[in-house]
Amino acid sequence: MNGVRAERGDGASESRSFLIGLGRGAAGAMLFGIPMLMTMELWQLGFYIERWRLFLLLIVNIPLLILLAHRIGFERTSTVAEACRDATIAYGLGIVISAAVLIMLGDIKPHMPLSEILGKIAIQSVPASIGALLGRSQLGGQAGKEEDQDDEEEDEEEGAVPDEISTSYSRELFLMAVGALFLNLNVAPTEEIILIAYKMTPSHALVTICVSIAIMHGFVYAVAFKGTHEISEETPWWHAFFRFTLPGYMVAMLISLYVLWTFGRLDDTGPTQMLMSAIVLSFPGAIGAAAARLIL
Amino acid sequence: MTTTANKRHREVKEPHWIEWATGVISALVVVATIAWVAYEAWTYADMQPEFSIAITERRQTEGGYRIAFDIANKATATAAAVTVRGEILDGGNIVEDADVTFDYVPAESKSSGAILFSQDPGAREVRVRAVGFIEP
Repeated sequence: MNGVRAERGDGASESRSFLIGLGRGAAGAMLFGIPMLMTMELWQLGFYIERWRLFLLLIVNIPLLILLAHRIGFERTSTVAEACRDATIAYGLGIVISAAVLIMLGDIKPHMPLSEILGKIAIQSVPASIGALLGRSQLGGQAGKEEDQDDEEEDEEEGAVPDEISTSYSRELFLMAVGALFLNLNVAPTEEIILIAYKMTPSHALVTICVSIAIMHGFVYAVAFKGTHEISEETPWWHAFFRFTLPGYMVAMLISLYVLWTFGRLDDTGPTQMLMSAIVLSFPGAIGAAAARLIL
Repeated sequence: MTTTANKRHREVKEPHWIEWATGVISALVVVATIAWVAYEAWTYADMQPEFSIAITERRQTEGGYRIAFDIANKATATAAAVTVRGEILDGGNIVEDADVTFDYVPAESKSSGAILFSQDPGAREVRVRAVGFIEP
């Protein structure tokens, strides 16, 4: 990443690399945010979502962005302060890009009440800000950065202390949660999710659970994508299955319930219907969680 | 527990006990979920939606009268496009009627809505009932 080279250059190239970073963040916010910015249900949610649920979503997004920034930052973040700064920039970019696109699409007009305008921008800024952080890391892909990350990981492995293992484990679960959240935010607001849940019988749901878990495990361990995690030959396959795939599915399930609740899809609904919606939403969630382990 | 020489991947290191604890809890949750759905599948009967409507509020509003109600669906089947009709009856004659349509009334769940009349029913009888639905 340019930031790495910048220390050699003068102030001008440093600010240039920062601007490039901002550009990548904006591109990421756009790339990851567009599907949601052009979803009718999310515009409507902007004005009818209960304000304290929206508030909670906006608050939850802050530590999420900071942790994510710590992992894959705008600049190479080493301290918490830097991660906070990057998270703030990403959130700001998310808000600005969401507002700009919504205005361009004619979805925000001056005569609208302020609470509607704010609600629409606020709800879109969450996925857009995650996109801004991801854009920075995923659109950057120069060789320099790749090498650098490998170095970093090796350093980590070498310096591993027993505590490190559980830290990287929790980080792994965190990444799965981010991946699940991201795909969930894409599909959860649409009416199709509850419609599918209503159309499905319990037998369909059983198959969906099994397929979701199988896809999650297959994505990470069986199909050889770039970044695939290998299991050594003497480790039985079920070790990774119990330690990563099942917790991953549980994380996807919890995120699904949280997102459905935030969007008011669980209100006045019977427990079985809640579970069915969560199972439907966990299907994309599981794919997102598995993909996050590979990509991030 | 596993001990392996390969240090290149996180998975092959000696797993921390927390990883196994999380794994066991997750397995229990997943098994419980599957058991729940399997029980539902086992007892699943192809039911038709059944509605019951309870009036929760009657209130004078600006230029009209509002009757709020809850509609509950006790069956295990969800109904879509549920039309609810409210009527003011005066000695068997319909004085005024108004319709409202629910996108969905999910299985074993309830939805809320309101019917707006132009006049105060007063002492006259008010009837609120579901008149139709489609399968989602």
